Amino acid sequence: MPPTSLEKPFVLWRHLNKLRWVVLSVIFAMLVLLPFIHVYQNYVTAYAYDLLAPSEQRLYDVMEALTDPFVSDPARQLDAVKGTTWSGTFWGWQLSDPLAALGQMSAGLTVNVSFLLTALVPVVLTIVFGRFFCGWICPATFLYELNSNFAAWLRWADIKTGNQQFDKRLKYGVLVLGLVISAITGAVFIAAVYPPAIIGRELYYAVALGGFGAGSVFFAITLLFDLIVARRGFCRYLCPGGALYSLLGRYRLVRIKRIVENCIDCTKCNVVCEFGLDPLRDNFGQECNNCTACMAICPTEALTFTLRPTDVAAQGPGHLGRHFKP
Amino acid sequence: MDRRKFLKGIGISVTGSLMPVAARAALNRPSLRFLRPPGALPEKDFVAACIHCGQCGEICPNRTLRYFGLQNGLSSMDTPYIIPRKKGCILCMKCGEVCPTGAIQPVKREMNAILAGVKMGLARVDETLCLSFQGKTCGICYRACPLADVAIYVAMLEQPHVTDKCIGCGLCERSCIQMPQAIRIFPVNA
Repeated sequence: MPPTSLEKPFVLWRHLNKLRWVVLSVIFAMLVLLPFIHVYQNYVTAYAYDLLAPSEQRLYDVMEALTDPFVSDPARQLDAVKGTTWSGTFWGWQLSDPLAALGQMSAGLTVNVSFLLTALVPVVLTIVFGRFFCGWICPATFLYELNSNFAAWLRWADIKTGNQQFDKRLKYGVLVLGLVISAITGAVFIAAVYPPAIIGRELYYAVALGGFGAGSVFFAITLLFDLIVARRGFCRYLCPGGALYSLLGRYRLVRIKRIVENCIDCTKCNVVCEFGLDPLRDNFGQECNNCTACMAICPTEALTFTLRPTDVAAQGPGHLGRHFKP
Repeated sequence: MDRRKFLKGIGISVTGSLMPVAARAALNRPSLRFLRPPGALPEKDFVAACIHCGQCGEICPNRTLRYFGLQNGLSSMDTPYIIPRKKGCILCMKCGEVCPTGAIQPVKREMNAILAGVKMGLARVDETLCLSFQGKTCGICYRACPLADVAIYVAMLEQPHVTDKCIGCGLCERSCIQMPQAIRIFPVNA
């Protein structure tokens, strides 16, 4: 006899993945838009519309149309939002990546309290929500996931893509090595190998300073690495920021759990997981970024959120499976 | 040769094997005459404090700040600099306000605070090149200077004289009509 009342996940949670794509797109679009806003502000400050080249005038017109409903004094008021996901200013509030704080601390071998405070909000959010930055905010994730989809197309066209597995602990080594190199060279070297920092910077260089810099080469190599060697390989095995977020989010409160009664062991969650985790066997670990892709794809509503500091212990095969014997 | 220099040398040679042109440029450091943004810490502290977030450049209303690639060595990669001949600093002091780490210290935008807190370089006049010293009255550098009569004054025939209060914003070098320029900023960070 089947159980009378099965636990069901809240109805909106399977739609969170769409919201996540909206958030990622908006953040990436902002990173593209901010350099254009900066160039527009330059033109406004110069009071020289008639001296601009036709292409510059077109940029001016477009940006004026976009921002005019919101600001009356663009040169001053558009300064409200500046920076990238690495470190940014939002209406006077400064927010920084925890890795920036850590990298700067190891480069200068000093404790810069006022700068550490800018990383406080992200750290607290990470302790509660785990590695959510990687799934919900990181501009590199936006491109890496599109890259993963592109790899799926390639496989569909019978072109092999990389599927190597490495040790996930490799990235903690990268984190430590990056901090040690920062300390030795006395510069925040880790910013040069951290994709979200690179992307914001390179987009600014490309739009405002007339060309991509060296970081874009590094980022292109990571994209190729993901395509040829390992799916989402950089985030899974090498990203120093991901390592730091994983450590901070090890005992996160908000985590995904499997409702074993609903599960039919279809393995779709394991296939869709970008970080190669194992929701099917209740094995999320500290790497899970709560991206909710597994929730969205689950055909039997067997995945939901729970509030607890550790994963549920392995629950065995799903109860709706054909071969399940209680 | 101290340890840091040694390791830097290794870094440059490793990079050099990958991209020889960039490495040659990195070793060519003395030829590079650049300023750090106004209010920046001394060079070594600045490089250690800067997290390469690019906010200073993004808020600069004159697009004065540029960013290093590999041409000044690995440790100054992606850090802001000013080439005064291309763009001088207009001393708006916004970069210090926005810098999250204090690599560029916040300085109030008034004369005494700027005189006390900003020292990017010092202007020097080459009298053999300067038009005013050749009998052709010019005085453009004096008119470009935001601290006219404090940092620079003109004598007979608009001949410029720089005082030690010059903070090295580079507007005089930017505006000099001679080529090569007769007034140049000598950076304090070199």
